[in-house]
Amino acid sequence: MENEAILVCKNIVKRFGPVNALNGVDFEVRRGEIRGLIGENGSGKSTLTSIMAGMQKATSGTMEYKGKPWDPSTMAQAQEQGVCMILQESNTVRGCTVAENIFAGQISKFSRFGVINMKKMIREAQKKLDAFGVGRIRAGDPIDKYTFEDRKMIEIVRSVSDETEILVVDETTTALSFDARELFYGMMKNLVKQNKAVIFISHDMDEILKQCTHLTVLRDGDIIGHLTGEEMRLPGAPEKIRYMMVGREIGDAYYRSDYDTSHQEEVALEFQNVSVGEIKNLNLQLHKGEIIGIGGLSGCGMRLIGRAGFGLEKLQSGQVLKEGKAINDPLTAIRSGIGYVSKDRDTEALILSASIADNITFPSLDALSKHSFIDPRKEKKLVKQEVERYLIKCNTPRQLVSTLSGGNKQKVSFAKWTAKGSDVMIMDCPTRGVDIGVKQAMYAFIAQMKRDGKAILLISEELSELIGMADKIIILKDFAISGEFMRSPELKETDIIGSMI
Amino acid sequence: MEEIKNESKIKKAFSACKAYVRNHVSDVASYAGLVLCLIVFTITSNGRLWSNYNISVLLESVCVYMIVALGALFVYSMGYMDISVGAQMGVYCLLMIFIIKATGSLLLGFIVVLALTLVCGAFNGAVAVWLKLPSIVTSLFLMFLFGGIQYLMVENTGSSTVSTDYDFSLFLEPWMMVLGIVIVAVIVFYLFNYTKLGKYTRGIGANELTTSQCGVNTTKWKVIAYMAFGVCVAVGALFLLARTGSAGKTTANSYAMDIMLSLILGGMPLSGGMKSKVRCALIGSFTYALLSNGLVLSGVDMTLVYFIKAFVFMIVVILSCRDRSGLLPR
Repeated sequence: MENEAILVCKNIVKRFGPVNALNGVDFEVRRGEIRGLIGENGSGKSTLTSIMAGMQKATSGTMEYKGKPWDPSTMAQAQEQGVCMILQESNTVRGCTVAENIFAGQISKFSRFGVINMKKMIREAQKKLDAFGVGRIRAGDPIDKYTFEDRKMIEIVRSVSDETEILVVDETTTALSFDARELFYGMMKNLVKQNKAVIFISHDMDEILKQCTHLTVLRDGDIIGHLTGEEMRLPGAPEKIRYMMVGREIGDAYYRSDYDTSHQEEVALEFQNVSVGEIKNLNLQLHKGEIIGIGGLSGCGMRLIGRAGFGLEKLQSGQVLKEGKAINDPLTAIRSGIGYVSKDRDTEALILSASIADNITFPSLDALSKHSFIDPRKEKKLVKQEVERYLIKCNTPRQLVSTLSGGNKQKVSFAKWTAKGSDVMIMDCPTRGVDIGVKQAMYAFIAQMKRDGKAILLISEELSELIGMADKIIILKDFAISGEFMRSPELKETDIIGSMI
Repeated sequence: MEEIKNESKIKKAFSACKAYVRNHVSDVASYAGLVLCLIVFTITSNGRLWSNYNISVLLESVCVYMIVALGALFVYSMGYMDISVGAQMGVYCLLMIFIIKATGSLLLGFIVVLALTLVCGAFNGAVAVWLKLPSIVTSLFLMFLFGGIQYLMVENTGSSTVSTDYDFSLFLEPWMMVLGIVIVAVIVFYLFNYTKLGKYTRGIGANELTTSQCGVNTTKWKVIAYMAFGVCVAVGALFLLARTGSAGKTTANSYAMDIMLSLILGGMPLSGGMKSKVRCALIGSFTYALLSNGLVLSGVDMTLVYFIKAFVFMIVVILSCRDRSGLLPR
């Protein structure tokens, strides 16, 4: 006997100009389920949920919520009625207190004769925070004091109330640390226990399989299929789901298939007694042809290592050496052959308003320039070579990067450094927000780089990625190395997690 | 059947046209503005716009605007601005007059001015970075400083204007002015499109963080960009002095804003970045000079000229703001 459906969508179509984002989708959310939504970028997951949550209107189709027609005109209205969505981007108001953020839009509840009872508001906000298990966040503090992750939690606390019937989570968890995720999962389970429903969007297959009770797979605006909990637990389910998402066999060659951890003797990048930020006396040797993976919970300092390796951080002591040369700023780093793929793709790694060609050639301009002259033909040749190497999907290299999908953007930020001929690559979460098809291609590129004798520092929050790709995994905990693991077929996530927490 | 095909072809061409216009609103607007000005003023001035005399008058003002605007391109493409240029040019004119009076050498005067512009450029570029101030603040400081100096210089002579008898006729020859514009334009075009300077300044305007992570020493290139601007300011001041032969307390003061308006009219986003083009300076300064000249020729009351300029400015800003690239500088 299936539970009662809270929200039913019938034949939802959404067009953006000539592009069909959704072609007549039928979708149901039932009480007591955590419904996973999975699909590649642009498959229509976010479009579908944002229509339910009142962020945009469908081109055609109908919806029913609790048996009545449902057509919310704003997100606030949907939230009031119990359909609430937590977005990918941060959505808190800077310069206000945590309490003001939590009760944004409802401040009048606490006002009497035009005077706001701050104390009461802060008390109420704190109660809510405590109930979610994040009591360490103090409601009276200014919000700017908190990290991106904490702000995300505050946002969640704000969105979810007693009236919430359906909670839509759009890739929120990628922003959260291990602890926060656990809290978050607990909250989802809690909602389900109260006979409410959760729609859960994520790129992370493991997370989906673990947390969801039901799964719907989307591809190119169509629903490809539904899986029940039992089907999801079957062996071979991940392969089946991947197949449904991509529409072709991904095969076993997802990660690196070899277990060859050999590398050249020559050291490509060395950290000598480096103290930076809260990291003290770090020693690390990266050899040519080696992939070193760095993992840990977010906030453990792994990003700092990558930034220090590229000369972006001021070292308190020690030095970063590339073939005997000290790296103190990005210019020296680039000139000596280091490339850096930043985690903040859209703000740090790419100039969104510039063309693909401009982005790719930017670090190479220094080298291309001859007696001040930069030959456009040389630029063009370089760009063509990189676009072909990575199969960047574009009409012309003059197209703006902002028009590309996440995966293709990431290809451009890889291409910048292969164009420059960098032989040391520092990659900070290189496959974040990238869909499976491109992910697989990225892994193939990284493996190829190793074969070409390049040295790679792979910083990642995904353990499966580190296990799948790295020769050696270094785990950080509270800004210090807490474990080292060599590549082997026997290495499992459970072996590593212990040294993370 | 054939008809339907044709119709869909026309429809396709039409929608492609529409898409082009939507993506190039500011470009189209800047060209349209220029053409509109030409047509309207030709009519309202009864053709006097094209008289030999007026063309040479127009050329004199276009020459200064264009040269300075071409230099300003480097600074504005970074999303920065310099509002001290007007006061600077006033002082430079005075300084050249004084030096000519004392030594009889224009060359010496020009060299001194050139040195000064480079110092000011370095100041605007570097001090702003060191003190972590937006460069508009340092240029504001320079504006008041130079305004004061200009006032003092004139005041000390005891008269309201200072003039020189030096023979500037060489610089007033049309071919010389055209040559000046062409040389500056070619050099700027080269620097802006085929060297690191132009690519880096646009990069800084579009995304400074990314640019610095691509190994660009942004402080160094900011200083170089301001200095390149300085050179153009010096050349512009020379042509301005040639035109007026004298200078007073407020000479050239409006240039800082004139240059900014010129660039906006030329379709330049004031937030700088990748949409900055040499064309913006060329078209913009020409349109701006034409606007001033044409309104006067058409017999519009001087008091009304400002209102009309304000109106035109608003329309252009609204049109070019629509692509949401952000028009206002940092």
